Amino acid sequence: MNLNPVLQTLTTLPGRLRQRARGMFNLNDPRWGRDDDKASSDESKPESGRDEGSSAKPPAPPPPPPPSRPQGQGPNQGPPDLDELWRDFNRKLGGLFGAVKKPGQRVRGSGGLGGGGNGGPGGFQPDMKSAGIGAGLIASVALLIWLGTGFFIVQEGQQAVITQFGKYKSTVGAGFNWRLPYPVQRHEMVVVTQIRSVDVGRDTVIKATGLRESAMLTEDENIVEIKFAVQYRLNDARAYLFESKDPAGAVVQAAETAVREVVGKMKMDSALAEERDQIGPRVRALMQNILDRYKVGVEVVGINLQQSGVRPPEQVQASFDDVLKAGQERERAKNEAQAYANDVIPRAVGSASRLKEESEAYKARMVAQSQGDAQRFRSVLSEYQKAPQVTRDRMYIDTMQQVYSNVTKVMVESRQGSNLLYLPLDKIMQQSAGSAAAGEPALLPGGVATPPALPSAPATSAADTRARDASRTRDRDTR
Amino acid sequence: VNRVGFIASSLLVALALASSMLFVVDQRQFGVIYALGQIKEVITEPGLNFKLPPPFQNVSYIDKRLLTLDSTDAEPMLTAEKQRVVIDWYVRWRITNPSEYIRNVGLDERAGANQLNRVVRNAFQEEINKRTVKDLLSLKREALMADVKTEVLQVVRGAKPWGVDVVDVRITRVD
Repeated sequence: MNLNPVLQTLTTLPGRLRQRARGMFNLNDPRWGRDDDKASSDESKPESGRDEGSSAKPPAPPPPPPPSRPQGQGPNQGPPDLDELWRDFNRKLGGLFGAVKKPGQRVRGSGGLGGGGNGGPGGFQPDMKSAGIGAGLIASVALLIWLGTGFFIVQEGQQAVITQFGKYKSTVGAGFNWRLPYPVQRHEMVVVTQIRSVDVGRDTVIKATGLRESAMLTEDENIVEIKFAVQYRLNDARAYLFESKDPAGAVVQAAETAVREVVGKMKMDSALAEERDQIGPRVRALMQNILDRYKVGVEVVGINLQQSGVRPPEQVQASFDDVLKAGQERERAKNEAQAYANDVIPRAVGSASRLKEESEAYKARMVAQSQGDAQRFRSVLSEYQKAPQVTRDRMYIDTMQQVYSNVTKVMVESRQGSNLLYLPLDKIMQQSAGSAAAGEPALLPGGVATPPALPSAPATSAADTRARDASRTRDRDTR
Repeated sequence: VNRVGFIASSLLVALALASSMLFVVDQRQFGVIYALGQIKEVITEPGLNFKLPPPFQNVSYIDKRLLTLDSTDAEPMLTAEKQRVVIDWYVRWRITNPSEYIRNVGLDERAGANQLNRVVRNAFQEEINKRTVKDLLSLKREALMADVKTEVLQVVRGAKPWGVDVVDVRITRVD
């Protein structure tokens, strides 16, 4: 059986009462402000308004004013005004509670909840008058206190979810709020707009695998440790409270499964280096997807990889560093070799091309020389064929002259009459030495019998060509 | 004075009676009314409800939120290439039909978690035996989770339905 219609009236009743009371005891009512005594009336007006407002709740006080009248007001105000005011007040009160109070009381009584107002209706009977007043006062105070427990304050950044008999009723924002007191409605505060954050990946070691909790496998079956913080915010306080048990745990689990799925699709190197910045966004998208499926009412704001965010596990850290170092070493050696190559290769190329040029030049020269020689021989041959004898003689004489001019022997004519022979030997030697220096190479390998008395130190490369020349001349001579 | 005492005592009795006959079903719960040990009614809507006082009818509550079942043991399982892996998983599930649940599984969430744990572990073992480590890690991770989920659902919705729904099966770690 459901009591909802009853509750409906119960929840709306206080609002209605409040509205009526506000209209009734309005401070702007011209009749209340009739007194022009400013100093006193300014003070007394709000006072009287408040007191009467609160004393309006007890049901139907009797006409005589003095007993229940607030103290401290009498001396300040003129008696006629007060009397009139009080009568007016009572008349209005009677009209109000005569019409409205009764159904309200009945509702409350049948709900079995407050039950405090039951003395009220009986209070009109003359014999039970005083007892009814007392019980009504106590009951109304209790009721007020009970209603007062329904006030609560919601801090900025929080929301309160109000449940009525366990059923979700509404969500209210920051500020001063009122709900029906304890057995009927309750509220639960939830921090909504502030960002919460949770760390994922602790250092605790799992026994079964001997790895840390933050460790996970990459696609190439390497292990990396990833630590990060998830920042999230609630976007639906109702879902957060009612849809899922332990929603904060669900966030952590979603984060763990998401990051492992993401890293499981990455190679180790890319997880550590190039695709590292993509881990965060991918995890975020996947997490949001998972959490939406659970209807946790959570929005993932960001994934922050921590300082030592992605790294290989400690046991292999040293080896990993070695690998890195070796990689750098390789890089360095490569660079060095490259530099050396850059240095050597151009030089080698240069010398190669130089040698090539040289040999080209030598070839050209030799060809030209040989052609020249051949030309000479041909012309000599043609001369020879014209006059063989003369040419032979001339060649013989030429050769002999050449030979003799380089010989250190001195010929002296002895048949001439002079006995005195002047032989300036040293001069002749010098002279012949000078001429030998010029003509000597031609004779060096030559078959002339005279041994060269002269020191000869010809340059090797020059000597070769000359030697060849000399051999040619010798050939010519022998012919 | 006599009359006041009578009113007060009758009020107290009324209160006691009301507290035994009225009960609140929370937004997060199902309320199950037992009439002399037999399930009489299941209240799925939160709110204030009425029942007979205790000897005749009792009420118990059962969580209807999404529950998490975490893998407890880390026993290595064998993959298709006879490699041992340790996996962690979790299951998100909820009770959808309290009367079936109570009849076939148990009175509270823990009983269901226990049973479910066995079923899921068995399903994982079977599925992992068919797959290689590489599949587990990256290529067929989602497919594996989906397969395990369907397998678990088959058991759960079998001849004697458990009255539960498995929302998600996920692997957290594979080592």
